[in-house]
Amino acid sequence: MSKPVSLKIDGRDVKVLEGTNLIDAAESSGIHIPNLCYLKGVRGIGACRLCLVEIEGMKAPVIACTTKVKEGMNVTTDTEKIREMRKFVIDLILSMHPLDCMTCTKAGVCNLQQYAYDFELKESTFTRKKFGFSIDEANPFIKREPDYCILCGRCVRVCKEQGTNVLDFMGRGVGARVITAMDKPLQESECTFCGSCVDACPVNALLEADRWRKGREWEYTKINSVCLSCGNGCDITVSTKDGSIVKINVGTEDSSVERYICAIGRFGFDSITADSRITAPLKRIGNELKETTWDDALKIAAEKLKEAGKGAGIVSTGNILNQDAFVLGKLASQAVKTKNVDTTVSLYADEDSMKYSDSVDIDSADLIVAVGINPSQWERVLPALDAGIRKRVARGAKLIVINNPSESPYTPLWKRGAEGDFKGGEGGFASIANINIRGDEASALAQVAKALKELAVSGQQSGSQEIKTSETSPIEQVVALFVKAQNPVIFTAPSLFNASVNIKLVTRHLSLVTPKVVAVPLEANARGVVSMGLIAEGKSYKDMVSGGAKVLYVIGEIPVNQRPKGVDFLIVQGSHMTEIAKQADIVLPASALLESEGTIINYLGRVKDIIKAIEPAGSAKQHKDIFIALSKAMGNPIRESKIKTVLEVKAKAKFSPFEKREGLDINPNEFIESINKHVINHSRLLWLKETEKVAV
Amino acid sequence: MFKETILKEIDDIKARYPDPKSALLPTLYIAQREFGWLSHEAMHVVAQSLNLPEAMVRGTASFYTMFKHKPMGRHLIQLCTNVSCMILGAERLVDFLKNRYSLEPNITTTDRRFSLVIMECIGACDRGPAMLVNTDFHDSLTEERIEEILEKYK
Repeated sequence: MSKPVSLKIDGRDVKVLEGTNLIDAAESSGIHIPNLCYLKGVRGIGACRLCLVEIEGMKAPVIACTTKVKEGMNVTTDTEKIREMRKFVIDLILSMHPLDCMTCTKAGVCNLQQYAYDFELKESTFTRKKFGFSIDEANPFIKREPDYCILCGRCVRVCKEQGTNVLDFMGRGVGARVITAMDKPLQESECTFCGSCVDACPVNALLEADRWRKGREWEYTKINSVCLSCGNGCDITVSTKDGSIVKINVGTEDSSVERYICAIGRFGFDSITADSRITAPLKRIGNELKETTWDDALKIAAEKLKEAGKGAGIVSTGNILNQDAFVLGKLASQAVKTKNVDTTVSLYADEDSMKYSDSVDIDSADLIVAVGINPSQWERVLPALDAGIRKRVARGAKLIVINNPSESPYTPLWKRGAEGDFKGGEGGFASIANINIRGDEASALAQVAKALKELAVSGQQSGSQEIKTSETSPIEQVVALFVKAQNPVIFTAPSLFNASVNIKLVTRHLSLVTPKVVAVPLEANARGVVSMGLIAEGKSYKDMVSGGAKVLYVIGEIPVNQRPKGVDFLIVQGSHMTEIAKQADIVLPASALLESEGTIINYLGRVKDIIKAIEPAGSAKQHKDIFIALSKAMGNPIRESKIKTVLEVKAKAKFSPFEKREGLDINPNEFIESINKHVINHSRLLWLKETEKVAV
Repeated sequence: MFKETILKEIDDIKARYPDPKSALLPTLYIAQREFGWLSHEAMHVVAQSLNLPEAMVRGTASFYTMFKHKPMGRHLIQLCTNVSCMILGAERLVDFLKNRYSLEPNITTTDRRFSLVIMECIGACDRGPAMLVNTDFHDSLTEERIEEILEKYK
């Protein structure tokens, strides 16, 4: 555990934890030390020489980002001498940076512009250097303009730390440049277009490709919300101008390893305004779907649902908001009076795993165990978890991977590289793991539990806390890591949740820190919809989409393309004209991602606010409002009551057999691609999909 | 791809360090020795054999001036023109190489016999001008002496 350290910065008494660097320490008491290359959370490299500070007793100024606090240190961050030096640094950088702030998109948020202003530098006092490097703009996502680059290396470091490893420096001195592997355009490198580099760039060298004349930062309204495209549910910051979305950035705070969003989250927003949006209610007349009024559509849907009563079936995706899910539950039980309501969550997770998963903070985890999961930023399957774990490992956590690649449903469809390849390959992030256990996950967990139990017995016999760590077999090594861990976390496939919880129960009898166990779902609000009670009491999702209900009410973009045989009447409520919507009898327009308001419970057990960024397209409405209107049309009006969205983590106290739950073996890659089809196929992501297909 | 024996050599180097990154410079050197210069393919092979990102391999290789990024002649002449050598007439020797062998800095002769690189100080300031031909050291150079020395490199 880190000890607190007391020091003085600019005369103020500052108390921070041991190991903190001077930039963070100063920031904690409101003092900003100028810097261009520092990235909070990532180890400083002292490249820009701007964060110079003076420390009492030291002859020369030192770099704050790489200097750790010491007890009694007396730091001065702003003296005449230091200002002179910093000014010199900015002066030098300006000599090779275009001075076109008047048309530059980054104006207002450019760090270099700010410091030039602070140091009163209108232009450089040195001879101007112009390089004329070629611009990389052959993709619709990221524009790289090396002439603006100040070689701070932020992009290189974020790309490396998250394990993408596409960018690096080439050459040295002023002629150095940031390049992709063989200086190829981004789409021919291994780039996944997550855009982490864009968020990190302090200047105009890396920018969203479509930003030119789309307004500058001070014209935007910023909304902090959450992306709902997959089980990670990442924080995003949405910038809107005149009621439409201009760009989306990562929303998580700087220092967290969760600071990552993928191409879908960042660039998928085009789909919100795509032609495929459903903007008005539709009803089937003969072979065609014709526009109608809300009243008419609701009346028809209400009649059909009422008629079917307990025979009606309702299926939903697992990324509707808590408020929507809660009202949907009421609609089913009080208005339609059916027990047949279920969600896509049942395809990959059981109730236990969603209800009893712990609440976890990845940033403090020092031991991560991945059981039966294979997240991948390249496949865009839970990419933020992949990047987060890689970053956590880069920052010192240990990683144990227990995986059965041949059987695991998480085996990537598109295998890149050989086994043990740094990109992942067959074993996911197995290549960066400290310990890899391959083979049946449940029996591996059983062996770990057994070894931990034996440890308890031998510990009692010798009467000491000392634990032998003759690290021979992988299982013994796993035990050794558990012994040392302060904050162990187990990320497991939902099908292996009960088996993983057994490890937690075993450690309770030892003097070890009990691991937190989290089952990783594939949809953003899986934990939320389950805790809101959307669990099949009647027919299951699978039954209903294979024709188990005569009248079927579909909510959201479910991964089904064909109208199930045996369905007499199909109501589809969604944002986009999906294949199944085209075959519906009634189509109800729902608001899309970023057009709704409510909460979700993400995979880490955190309640997150979803803030509406833009108004729904056309006459689309949020799901819950449609449910309420529908209940009125049915003559059994339900009311939306305030719901409690504080997550209650219930502890599961019973041992279960070491088994993998059957029936949860949907392929995650196909599933996530399928639920995002309406986003990918109706945005610039389609270009990426096609380009990647060619690359394979 | 590398030959079996070279892969073995790289494995031995890898075994010396806890992190494969540390083996990068010696492996690049081997690649240069085997292929003559560091082509994209050569760096790709290095990246594969060490399981490192290609961007990192390229970045590292481009930092060090002793790695060659274009094909070289059979013999590499590295001539010093730093202060001491310059005073002692190194620049005249540059002209001589141009006139006698059509050899200019950073150029390879058409018969691919020689490549010339102007080098920074090689620590022979007391006996300048000095040069390296491949890994052989030659000092106290004059026009006559250079011609005589280069006769040995066909």
